[in-house]
Amino acid sequence: MKVTTSLALLVCLLAGECLAAGPTPQKPNPGEELFQAAQVSGHYGGQLTIGGRAEPKTFNPVIAADAVSREMIGRLMADLIEINRGSQQTEPALTKSWKTSADGRVFTLQLRKGIRFSDGHPFDADDVLFSFAVYMDENVDSPQRDLLIIDGKPLTVTKIDQFTVRFTLPRAYAAAERLFDGLAMLPRHLLEKPYRQGKFVQSWSLNASTNEVAGLGPFRLKRYVPGERVVLERNPYYWKVDSHNDRLPYLDELTFLFVGTEDAQVMRFEAGATNMISRLSAENYSLLNRERNRTGAQLSDLGPSLEYNFVVFNQNDLSSKKLDAIARKQKWFRDLKFRQAISAAIDRDAIVRLVYGTRGTALWGNVGPGNKLWVNTAIPHPQASPATARQLLKSAGFSWNPSGQLLDSSGALVEFSIITSSSNTQRMKMATLLQDDLSHLGMQVHIVPLEFRALVDRVFQSFDYDAAIMGLGGGDADPNPEMNVWTTKGTSHLWHLNEAQPETAWEGEIDRLMQQQMVTIDYTKRKQLYDRVQQLISENLPFIFLATPNVLAAADSRVGNFHPAILDPYTLWNADELYIRRPTENAGVR
Amino acid sequence: MRTKTAILIAALAALHLALLCAAFIAPYDPVAQNRELPYAPPTRLHLHDAAGWHLRLFVYRWTLGDEGYLEDKSESFPVHLLTTGSSYEFLGIFDTTRHLFGVAPPASIALFGTDGFGRDEFSRVLYGGQISVAAGIAATLIALLAGALCGVIAGYYGNWTDQSLMAGTELFLSLPWLYFLLGVRAFLPLHVSPVRTFFLLTCVIGLIGWARPARLVRGIVLSSRTRNYVLAARSFGASDLHVIREHILPEILGVLMTQATVLVPRYIAAEVTLSFFGLGVNEPVASWGNMLSTLQQYSVLVSYAWLLAPVGALIITSVIYALLADVVQSRLEFPHPGN
Amino acid sequence: MRYLGRTLLRAILLLAGISILCFLFTEMAPGSFFDELRLNPQVSPETIANLRSRYGLDQPLIVRYGRWVKSAARADFGYSIAYNAPVAPLLWGRAKNTLLLTATGMLLTWLISLPLGVWLAARRGRMLDQAFSIASSFVVSIPEVVIAVALLAIVVRWRLLPLSAGPLHGEGISLRTHVQDLATRMLLPVTILVFVESAIIVRHVRASVLEVLGTPFVQAAHSFGICRARVLFRHVLPAAASPAISLFGFSLAGLVSGSLLIEVICGWPGLGPLILEATLSRDLYLVIGGIMLSALFMVGGNLIADLMLLAADPRIRTGALDAD
Repeated sequence: MKVTTSLALLVCLLAGECLAAGPTPQKPNPGEELFQAAQVSGHYGGQLTIGGRAEPKTFNPVIAADAVSREMIGRLMADLIEINRGSQQTEPALTKSWKTSADGRVFTLQLRKGIRFSDGHPFDADDVLFSFAVYMDENVDSPQRDLLIIDGKPLTVTKIDQFTVRFTLPRAYAAAERLFDGLAMLPRHLLEKPYRQGKFVQSWSLNASTNEVAGLGPFRLKRYVPGERVVLERNPYYWKVDSHNDRLPYLDELTFLFVGTEDAQVMRFEAGATNMISRLSAENYSLLNRERNRTGAQLSDLGPSLEYNFVVFNQNDLSSKKLDAIARKQKWFRDLKFRQAISAAIDRDAIVRLVYGTRGTALWGNVGPGNKLWVNTAIPHPQASPATARQLLKSAGFSWNPSGQLLDSSGALVEFSIITSSSNTQRMKMATLLQDDLSHLGMQVHIVPLEFRALVDRVFQSFDYDAAIMGLGGGDADPNPEMNVWTTKGTSHLWHLNEAQPETAWEGEIDRLMQQQMVTIDYTKRKQLYDRVQQLISENLPFIFLATPNVLAAADSRVGNFHPAILDPYTLWNADELYIRRPTENAGVR
Repeated sequence: MRTKTAILIAALAALHLALLCAAFIAPYDPVAQNRELPYAPPTRLHLHDAAGWHLRLFVYRWTLGDEGYLEDKSESFPVHLLTTGSSYEFLGIFDTTRHLFGVAPPASIALFGTDGFGRDEFSRVLYGGQISVAAGIAATLIALLAGALCGVIAGYYGNWTDQSLMAGTELFLSLPWLYFLLGVRAFLPLHVSPVRTFFLLTCVIGLIGWARPARLVRGIVLSSRTRNYVLAARSFGASDLHVIREHILPEILGVLMTQATVLVPRYIAAEVTLSFFGLGVNEPVASWGNMLSTLQQYSVLVSYAWLLAPVGALIITSVIYALLADVVQSRLEFPHPGN
Repeated sequence: MRYLGRTLLRAILLLAGISILCFLFTEMAPGSFFDELRLNPQVSPETIANLRSRYGLDQPLIVRYGRWVKSAARADFGYSIAYNAPVAPLLWGRAKNTLLLTATGMLLTWLISLPLGVWLAARRGRMLDQAFSIASSFVVSIPEVVIAVALLAIVVRWRLLPLSAGPLHGEGISLRTHVQDLATRMLLPVTILVFVESAIIVRHVRASVLEVLGTPFVQAAHSFGICRARVLFRHVLPAAASPAISLFGFSLAGLVSGSLLIEVICGWPGLGPLILEATLSRDLYLVIGGIMLSALFMVGGNLIADLMLLAADPRIRTGALDAD
């Protein structure tokens, strides 16, 4: 039985090898203006498989809303300007250079000449205009449309000549070139017709045939097997070359296997069915770490991520809702000393040790040490101190009854519940630790796990909760994506949504500072403003910050140029540079 | 046969006694965290050290080294019986601090190791069993009672009663229970006390689970009500109730017993799914169900095998019940009614 | 015949009732598909509201139900919000994979369980029977979740099987490799299925055969000298058939829904993972379509079971019951 199995496997592999030789990369033409990745070298051939949590839902970059689809589509498409995940700085992509006007409102982009889509059709400014028209079309309702609306006015795109485009923003916007990352350029020759017929939203669904889908990314669609995998093959016309002037990508094929939960992914990785894992939990990382001498796997601990986990107390205006029990508790939640006491009682060190297996960092603000450009290092990081917590509570009018339970100033027992997502094991564990910490203060805290969407409904819609443990952030290092969290009218201003006017002086000050930093072009000035925002946040504790995990990734010994980064997509951002080492090469265990 | 029955009954009694006196047998409070000892392996009991053999069992402290936990042989801590420990209410009657066994702090005795928060797994298994076994049995009783009732009525009266009740079971079996659970959770208050959670659990599980036994029972009743002795009894003017009680019920008991042995462990494990929707027993209270959900993580399953203790406890409980059910079934076979 | 007609009518009414309750239940659950976008601070609530109304999610329940029924009559079961594609082809493609798995599992289960249950009943009290009793209690008590994960973990740690070889429906691969590949991939999920199901079915079969073996007419038959085999097949089995038939009906009924957990854990591309994700992400019409499909199988399976019951027990047929 074993012999037959291994024979079958061998035959499959051989057959697979013959099939897997992707399209040969085109030799660079003199007319093409290509991007040279000067540090990159490797060799052609090989197939990489990476596991995914679920199946992607569409190939259409404009309407894709879920992370899995976006990760796959990102390998098929390219943007005008990209953020290099390794350096976190912008670099020219489809644009070869750009000029910004003095007031920061006008961007003139020079596109690369002679580039072609994955089906061979040339790329020029008409494609750019078409793409932006689609993104900003109100009838398409792209989730990315709101990025292009600043102050309620959309930006305008004009064609200067066949390879020059001008973008005019309604007002100055800091780090505006970062906006272009993630806005894939669409092939006008394939999509204009469905768009004019009003069928754009249905185009490029998973049923699309391979010659309907074309992009400027390193790979193009080869095959989709429903429920199982998406196979991408090399784009022979890709516009990047390596240090030897050989056209990238190196890989013949890139396969996304729909595996499911992270545990299932780890199992497949161990079994050799996949070559890379994007994000690992600390326990799985330790597991793979213990075996690395035997397997030769490359494991990377990249340090703290950009996410932040926090506890938010419900300070929403509940006058129109029938939530009296919660409304009564809000007088505690709105008391700054109460929140400070809770923050002082939380043992963040235990969270880092027990939840993240020491591969994490405690947080006292929304920007952690992983964001080197923007972190405010002057913010204090006090250690857990139940004594300080008790003092704060006492000075706020709380007291303890003989059994040690906490009572508020009117004699009511301090009792509340914390909701969290049942599918996120880390936050569930944080909840258990928190509950224990707060019980030492005499608070009765109940942990209520909820299914994810039920949680979102309570936090954003019905406001029927006391406190919640959630996580945000991780999108980009720049402060601008956080506007909606910290400004009063922001849609993610979770502790007090639908607030018409800032209710406190510090919220008003944050509004002003965030607006100002949004239009300040100079980095040093922006940093000063954002430092002050971070200080206000950590002093007034609208969120009580807990911790952030490290970004952990793994690849097997054969993957070359494996350089994961702390920004999404953690391992595939340089998919065009990855290659498979030949068995004869030294695997180089890190 | 006799001795086997006796052994089984004794085992069952011992099991239930252990669960009932969980607070006494367990050396620690199930929610007490020891953050210095996460995922510690089971404490090793020794009788022999460098100084020779001792009469009393003793343990060493676990210390966390680079490669994992190591025993700190510098100091030995004897295991004492009937020690004082954390206070609890014995059977809800009186407060006491006596536990069956324990060691002096700072050492700890974790017979089944500790979980991710350093909580004693042995204590958690005992306390957890109280809720889980009770919930599982109660839910099974509800499901089987409701199912048997429907099945008997449907099978006995036939025609439209049968059709509509069976349509009811098919309705129940097809519906999107996940959505129903989500809806139930949305209607409930945010915090539900553990006792209420227990009742809720049993009701929900029993409610969802009555359909299958109903169909099984109905099938048997359909066949058995045409048996000669039934027709004879009815022609003698026996009331429906009498016929059902005397002649039909014994037929279905076999199926019910077999279903019971299948359902009890399944319902105990169903709590895993319910916890996902927030309808299970919430942390930090222990129950076998919520302890099982941590086992769904591959890394935990592979690295910390002692956390499989609730699975072991579940298996032992179920095996005892199943074997007992077999014995009861064989007792029911002889004599057979009807002649 | 009347019976058949009645049952068909009942089936149609049932399906209608299930569809109504489905819509009601999905309305009860909090949250909607686009909630994931709310957590993205860069998407405005207007966009989310527009998306909701584009897919008709903000319309009242009655309106949505009416439109669904109208299109269902034209065999169009709505659109999946996540996939932006019609529901029916999506479901059917995955259902084929699931049926492959469950049909094989069911066949193997019954092929093993029936004879085993009968044999064990005939051998009751002996060593093998006792051993099986304990072993099956074992299997029945471990939750399916733990069995599946544990088996998978064993397979991975000891590298017993390649976890995924080539694609399930590939091109350019010879039939023989394809079949072998398929068999290797199906081995683990089918084993788990058969393992778990047989334990239950064998217990039931054994229990009911035992009951019949103890009846006077069987003892009489034996005392008349009729050989054991004939007694077994002609007299005992039909009498013991009832619970087995109901269970068979359950197996049929669960052809598309019974393997959800196993598919999710073993990564089998069937209906299970699709419906589970659709439920959790509130992809309404996909969930409802999936439920209607399972309901169809359920109703069909029970119908067949009822017919089999009718066939097996002539007393039900002859209407001896409809009197009084």
